[in-house]
Amino acid sequence: MRRIPWLGIITFIVLLFVISPLIVIIPTSFTDSNFLTFPPEGVSMRWYEKILDRPQFVDAFKYSLKLAVISAAAATVVGTIAALAISKFKFPGRKFISALLLSPLTVPAIIIGIAALIFFTRISIAGTFAGLLLAHILISIPYVVRLVLTGLSTYDYTLERAAYMLGANSMRVFWDITLPLVRPAVLSGFIFSFLTSFDNVTVSLFLVTPTSTTLPLAIFSYMKEILDPLVASISSVVILLSVVFIFLLEKVYGLDRLFGVNTQSHS
Amino acid sequence: MGAHNSRWRPLRNALLLLAPVLLVLLVAFVIPMVYIFALSLQNEEQQFSLGNYALFLHDSYYVGILWRTIKLSFYTVLACLVFGYPVAMFMAKASGRMRGVVTFLIIAPHLISVVIRNFGWVVILGNKGWINTTLMNLGIIDKPLKLLYNELGVVIGLTDAYIVYMVLALVTSLYAVDTSLYKAAGILGASSVRKFVSITLPLSLPGILAGSTLVFSLSMSAYVTPALMGGSAVKVLPVLTYENVMITLNWPLSAALSFLLLGSTYALVTIFTKLVETRRYKEVFSGA
Repeated sequence: MRRIPWLGIITFIVLLFVISPLIVIIPTSFTDSNFLTFPPEGVSMRWYEKILDRPQFVDAFKYSLKLAVISAAAATVVGTIAALAISKFKFPGRKFISALLLSPLTVPAIIIGIAALIFFTRISIAGTFAGLLLAHILISIPYVVRLVLTGLSTYDYTLERAAYMLGANSMRVFWDITLPLVRPAVLSGFIFSFLTSFDNVTVSLFLVTPTSTTLPLAIFSYMKEILDPLVASISSVVILLSVVFIFLLEKVYGLDRLFGVNTQSHS
Repeated sequence: MGAHNSRWRPLRNALLLLAPVLLVLLVAFVIPMVYIFALSLQNEEQQFSLGNYALFLHDSYYVGILWRTIKLSFYTVLACLVFGYPVAMFMAKASGRMRGVVTFLIIAPHLISVVIRNFGWVVILGNKGWINTTLMNLGIIDKPLKLLYNELGVVIGLTDAYIVYMVLALVTSLYAVDTSLYKAAGILGASSVRKFVSITLPLSLPGILAGSTLVFSLSMSAYVTPALMGGSAVKVLPVLTYENVMITLNWPLSAALSFLLLGSTYALVTIFTKLVETRRYKEVFSGA
């Protein structure tokens, strides 16, 4: 008599539960119907053609892409430099500074968005690209700092000292020793920041304008008014793009390590 | 001078490298938070007043919204725990390869925008969605079940969004359990239920605590999922706050609502943590 593998069955159901909302979107996007039905009726590409009829989504896509690339690059540069400073220099207040850099994670995104809107209005940068960019850099900084600090925790500073003794200058040491050793952490910090920015709704909500909005917000606003297969075709494009980045992240760093779980030990 | 210099030079160098990051943090986070806190303590004449907080706490409509937010967050924690725990146990028992696959599959959907996942739920749970169509075709029901734009819809959406945090918190503590304990218990004749109650459950308590507080905090402040899957029928505190910021444009009240959200979440998490930890100490000392 075999025992029923309950844990396996429940795990399978839970995985199905988290994956199915994404899976159902793809077939829905090829529907020939005017309405959102599942299973979809007929097969057509018309809802993909419709995307191009709506410049607001194409513009929002470009805007999101620009925002995600610039904010991820900026967050990665300033976050990596900060992590290097914290790890290398033994200065008073290090603990406080690293706690401060991680502190945006402890405040809900909606409150970060509200605080930014109210203060940015005061200093007249609300509704500008600069304001939105600043907020997106902010929400990515904690992830970059944490990733690079983790990467540096096993970093051997004797390598740097050896290079200096051999006559390398500090630029040379940075490019040839430090950077290559923390590259996986820095690269995954960039990709994760890109996804954080590209997916964000709750902070952007308060900082975009009706004319220049991000893609997730354009979808969000559209969905609150109309529910038709157009949302499915746009979402499918975003899912495809995100899947590419997710696999990249898995290759470069591993999603398990990114989320602080080690699957390799104890097996 | 030398000693003085060597102590402060690292600080100067570090501050130079930290300057850009601190500038972003100050302008986009620290100053705005202080600014809205000050704003929340002002009345219309810009004088110090606790009126915004009092207004909320004396209005049963507002308190009802806070209560609903807490209730739905609690249900979400419960759902994440009930469904996440078996997944974490499965992962702890699985081989390294299987563990990797499950980890990837549970984290990956989390990296796709919540707006899109909520849309997927509309396709599944809507009146003409997958579940209702299937059940009606099978003749089990004759009119669609209401699975969306109610509290159930919100809890489903939030559970989907946050179960990953619960599972990851649980596996972190389950991976650390020494497997020889199970062997020892087995030799002493313990049943699998007994092993679970006496070994797995107590040792995973830190994971349960960490996962629950994280999921609870995230659910309390979730805006997108209640807005898309609850609709106007299920108003929660973040939705109310959004309306005050963007529609009513009452910013001092919005600022107060933000800190009430933050404060109530923090208070409940602290109480819960204290309760669990006190119980744990009692158990340890009475068991000894």
